[in-house]
Amino acid sequence: MRMESSCLDLALEGERLCKAGDYRAGVSFFESAIQVGTEDLQILSAIYSQLGNAYFHLQEYTKALEYHRHDLTLTRAIGDEVGEAKASGNLGNTLKLLGRYDEAVVCCQRHLEITKAIYDKVGQARALYNFGNVYHAKGKSICWSGAKPGEFPEEARTALRKAAHYYEANLSLVMELGDRAAQGRTYGNLGNTYYLLGDFESAIAAHEKRLLIAKEFGDKSAERRAHCNLGNAHIFLGQFETAANHYKRTLQLARLLKDRAVEAQACYSLGNTYTLLQDYERAIDYHLKHLVIAQDLKDCVGEGRAYWSLGNAHTALGNHEQAMLFAEKHLEIAKRTGDKSGEMTARMNLADLRMVVGPKSNPSMQYMFPNNRINDPDPLETQPGHLILPGVRTSLRRGSAENLLVIPGHHQ
Amino acid sequence: DDHRQEETKSSAVGSSQIFPSDGGEMEPETMEIKSVSEFLTKMHMGSVMSRQKG
Repeated sequence: MRMESSCLDLALEGERLCKAGDYRAGVSFFESAIQVGTEDLQILSAIYSQLGNAYFHLQEYTKALEYHRHDLTLTRAIGDEVGEAKASGNLGNTLKLLGRYDEAVVCCQRHLEITKAIYDKVGQARALYNFGNVYHAKGKSICWSGAKPGEFPEEARTALRKAAHYYEANLSLVMELGDRAAQGRTYGNLGNTYYLLGDFESAIAAHEKRLLIAKEFGDKSAERRAHCNLGNAHIFLGQFETAANHYKRTLQLARLLKDRAVEAQACYSLGNTYTLLQDYERAIDYHLKHLVIAQDLKDCVGEGRAYWSLGNAHTALGNHEQAMLFAEKHLEIAKRTGDKSGEMTARMNLADLRMVVGPKSNPSMQYMFPNNRINDPDPLETQPGHLILPGVRTSLRRGSAENLLVIPGHHQ
Repeated sequence: DDHRQEETKSSAVGSSQIFPSDGGEMEPETMEIKSVSEFLTKMHMGSVMSRQKG
């Protein structure tokens, strides 16, 4: 009897800590509760489930998987169908994050089956949302990185279409249930699915609805997400001014939420948008803002991108020496981080710029860039043709832009 | 060279090349929740109800 109450007390304390957001401490109480043990299998199931969720929040998905699987086994053994549905849902979400999509689908199917059988519409809606998420993640995992939304392989498109189908089914249920918060989530993910399928108009319509609901709830994070996603979709429709306005709102909200990484991302997007608008001065301004934050956050990938973008913008303005300075910085960071693709890009840009500036025209260059590779073999000579890597654009070769080949994974 | 510079100034960057096609930011997952305290409350309510019935 004493042991029994001890397990309960530990579990209740674990629950309290997790509710307060302290998952790490919650986990240790739940694990102690399990060590003590209980004969009440419903209580044990609740402990397994919460341990799984705590590990999920801590992004320790292998541990999350272990406990959600224990919960599934237990609920099946005791014939607790409601519990089994929940365990299946959580297991499905976890398997999705581990990239085990086919197993995740089986879990979603079971979650849906049970909730349908017991006429649990709320549960059914949640199962459909999970289903959509699994197919969305599966589709995205197949999309090769260099491709444009809407131009993915058929296998990816099939998964994305399934995702849209499940989100749409979920949406009609949560509309019927009048669950606005769930509608908001579904519109967001549906918008992202349409976006990947290349249906940018539908994506915008969905994200506009997501935005409206976020405002209703005063959910600033969701509002920020919606503006960012709207910006991306407008870019692909060539509506750059509208995109810029959405990114500006994203930036304001990122600052309000004190999220530096997101602030940097918004600056980067704005820099790119002004590049597309050919307003290079403003592009440079935003790319410099992005650079400062990337350096603060020690985000080398972001820093490299900033140098690359700054180099492009200065090239476009005809500031070739400034462009070279940033190309050198890009090369330096790419070499330091072992980013082969970035290194190749930087070398190509430098080679292009040298053709304009000429290595002899500015003797101070050698001094300014101790790591410069003026004497390196020109990659363009060793790689004839128009080789271009994912994300690579050398603006000096505009004339052949239409013929540029995107060769993902072939940049070594 | 002049021609080259002119071309450089007017160059535009293709949208697909500078915007990552990572598909945008996703909404959070919904996890199913089980709770010991709720289970205890239900049990307690159940026993109160049956006592009242009796």
